[in-house]
Amino acid sequence: MLPVCPRKDPAGLAALRRRIALLERRTAVADPAGGGAVEAWRLGLDALDAALPEGGLAPGGLHEAAGAASGDGPAAGAFLAALLARIRRRDGRGAVLVCQSRTSPFGRLYGPGWRDLGFEPADLLLLSARRDRDVAWAMEEGLRSASLAAVLGEVESLDFTLSRRLALAARESLTPALLLRRDGLGPASAAFSRWRVAAAAGRPAPFDDAAPGLPCWHLELLRCRGGRPATCDVEWNRETADFGMAAALADRPAAPRAAARHPALARAAG
Amino acid sequence: MPFALTAPGRHGAVLAAVNRQAEAEGLAPGMRLADARALLPRLAAAEARPAEDRRGLERLALWCNRFTPCCAVDSADGLLLDIAGADHLFGGEAAMAAEVEARIAGLGFEARTGLADTPGAAWALARFGREGNRIAAPGDTAAALGPLPVEALRIAPEDARLLRRLGLATIGAVDALPRPSLARRFNCGEWSDTVLERLDRALGRRPDPVASLPPPPACLARLAFPEPLIDLAGLEAALARLVEDLSASLERDGLGARELALLFCRVDGGAAERGVSTARATRDGAHLRRLFEGKIETVDPGFGIDAMALHAVRAEPLAHEQFRLAEGGRGSNEPGPLIDRLQARLGEGSVSRLAPVASHLPERAERRMAPGREGEAWPVRPGLPQRPFRLFDRPEPVEVIAELPDGPPALFTWRRLRRRIARAEGPERIEPEWWTGGSDDDPRDYYRVEDAEGRRYWLYRAGLYRDAGGKGPPRWYIHGLYG
Repeated sequence: MLPVCPRKDPAGLAALRRRIALLERRTAVADPAGGGAVEAWRLGLDALDAALPEGGLAPGGLHEAAGAASGDGPAAGAFLAALLARIRRRDGRGAVLVCQSRTSPFGRLYGPGWRDLGFEPADLLLLSARRDRDVAWAMEEGLRSASLAAVLGEVESLDFTLSRRLALAARESLTPALLLRRDGLGPASAAFSRWRVAAAAGRPAPFDDAAPGLPCWHLELLRCRGGRPATCDVEWNRETADFGMAAALADRPAAPRAAARHPALARAAG
Repeated sequence: MPFALTAPGRHGAVLAAVNRQAEAEGLAPGMRLADARALLPRLAAAEARPAEDRRGLERLALWCNRFTPCCAVDSADGLLLDIAGADHLFGGEAAMAAEVEARIAGLGFEARTGLADTPGAAWALARFGREGNRIAAPGDTAAALGPLPVEALRIAPEDARLLRRLGLATIGAVDALPRPSLARRFNCGEWSDTVLERLDRALGRRPDPVASLPPPPACLARLAFPEPLIDLAGLEAALARLVEDLSASLERDGLGARELALLFCRVDGGAAERGVSTARATRDGAHLRRLFEGKIETVDPGFGIDAMALHAVRAEPLAHEQFRLAEGGRGSNEPGPLIDRLQARLGEGSVSRLAPVASHLPERAERRMAPGREGEAWPVRPGLPQRPFRLFDRPEPVEVIAELPDGPPALFTWRRLRRRIARAEGPERIEPEWWTGGSDDDPRDYYRVEDAEGRRYWLYRAGLYRDAGGKGPPRWYIHGLYG
């Protein structure tokens, strides 16, 4: 291949990057339909996307999240649900398999709550299993079936071998696999990216200073293959399915506000 | 060794069943155990266990699937087999009856078979027919039943006694009577038990709805082995052949299976059944085989399995599918086969979808439904208070410090941690649904609160301060968590 001058040929540069990613097996994959690599999956927030390889998460990858403290489990779950809502907005329809082991200390998933986070509950396929191993098995089956838009699992813990199996299955089928761990990202895992999520105090509701406003999370990207660690406070806007910078950062005069942009523009620019 | 089974009677234990030796000594069912012991001091007796007899009979009925797919337990001591269309596989009716008797005798039971056009006639022939004369030729039921005693009609004992007192000892004699007088004289009790009705049913003049007989499967495949199989590999190979046969016949009939049963008949009379169901009608062999994965291992082969059958218990029309050359990308396949696989392994009902319910009570606002169908869309409720991401099945009590009477909570203790509330929204009053009978419940005031760390909770107060009368002060609960 000819050397490419980045300033004159940005498209060539992007192609080169993709090629390197393919060699490194990061995003992994040739799309069976198009033949090209599958586009990375953007969070729509520059501060985070810049830390991710190719400016987004790999669509065929395993992504793990856990609460920073024991009380942050629901926040981590809601963050993953928000990611699902973004996948949904990008890909259109398709069912999402949600696998849980039966005992959750934080109650059960609640349909109206999913709707209020911006994800249509009718598209959820809920699976309840007894053990974490069954959850992992069901997730793998779901990934390999290539009939789902995404797979979300909630487990106490998962050993490296099982997470490796999930990562491989996700890569082969190009289906995103999201995993919520209750053990706070304990042992090593083969996940493409690992997030630690904590609830954060956000801005009040627009018309009532005493009421809670948009959900707000403190995200830590602990590890991402080909990316670099990052930290960010984000708000989730369910109407537009967009992440936005949280108030403390967003109100600084010099910082760009991704959330303020129209989503279509954000995508075009990103 | 004379032996008898006893059942509790009004004046002490009564014989319920006796064996041949005891019968030869003059004992009969219905005698009191004390009398029997007086006649025959060496009589061994044990208590009868009808429930276990029934279970044994049910197991035997399952085992009889080797002969025909329609088998059921008939009365306390009989099995009913619908052999229409199955007898030619055994070389005719007589040969089949002989084989059934021989095989059941091989299990250590004594069996008599009767064979006729109607279940009633077969019942009569099996119990009252003479040796070598228990098969009624098609259309010849009346002649075969004629010489049998009236008890063979399965009528109430007092009716049988009355008929005998009138000098009518055989079915033929009863049948020769004018029908109106028969109907007039024996019209007491249940209609289905009257003499005329029983007679008509036995002779095939009236339909005999046999409730106990399961409907025949829509499609089936069966396989008998010359040598009993014990190893898993053999059983799996047999399953593969059965599935192949079944999907071929399903395809021929334009059907797809929704519910399947795999039956194993053991040489020692044991039988086992394993069922799977599918979310959508299917006849894809590879998929069906995968559903039974892990199920064969759970069957105890005992001394070997010598017959297997695969029934499509429930089937639905399924159009022929266009064969696709290339599988599409992600999301292009139907999730139906995936749901089947998950349910086959993790159990029926482990996969579900959520459907909305028009109820104000949060715990009733959703319901689980079968995953096969596409879910109905949830209505959006713009401007209404948000619902939590996770809900507790049972609201957990919390200790709250709040301003009286209607102020939002300022501090609450849940799971031993004290949380200071920074922001709160509410109250959202939800009244009990009096039309569903819950009008005794307290009204609830819901608050959406956020603590100093940004975690969000859904709290409610059950009851009001003003009418605290008999119920005590209002109680606080946590009902859900926001993400």
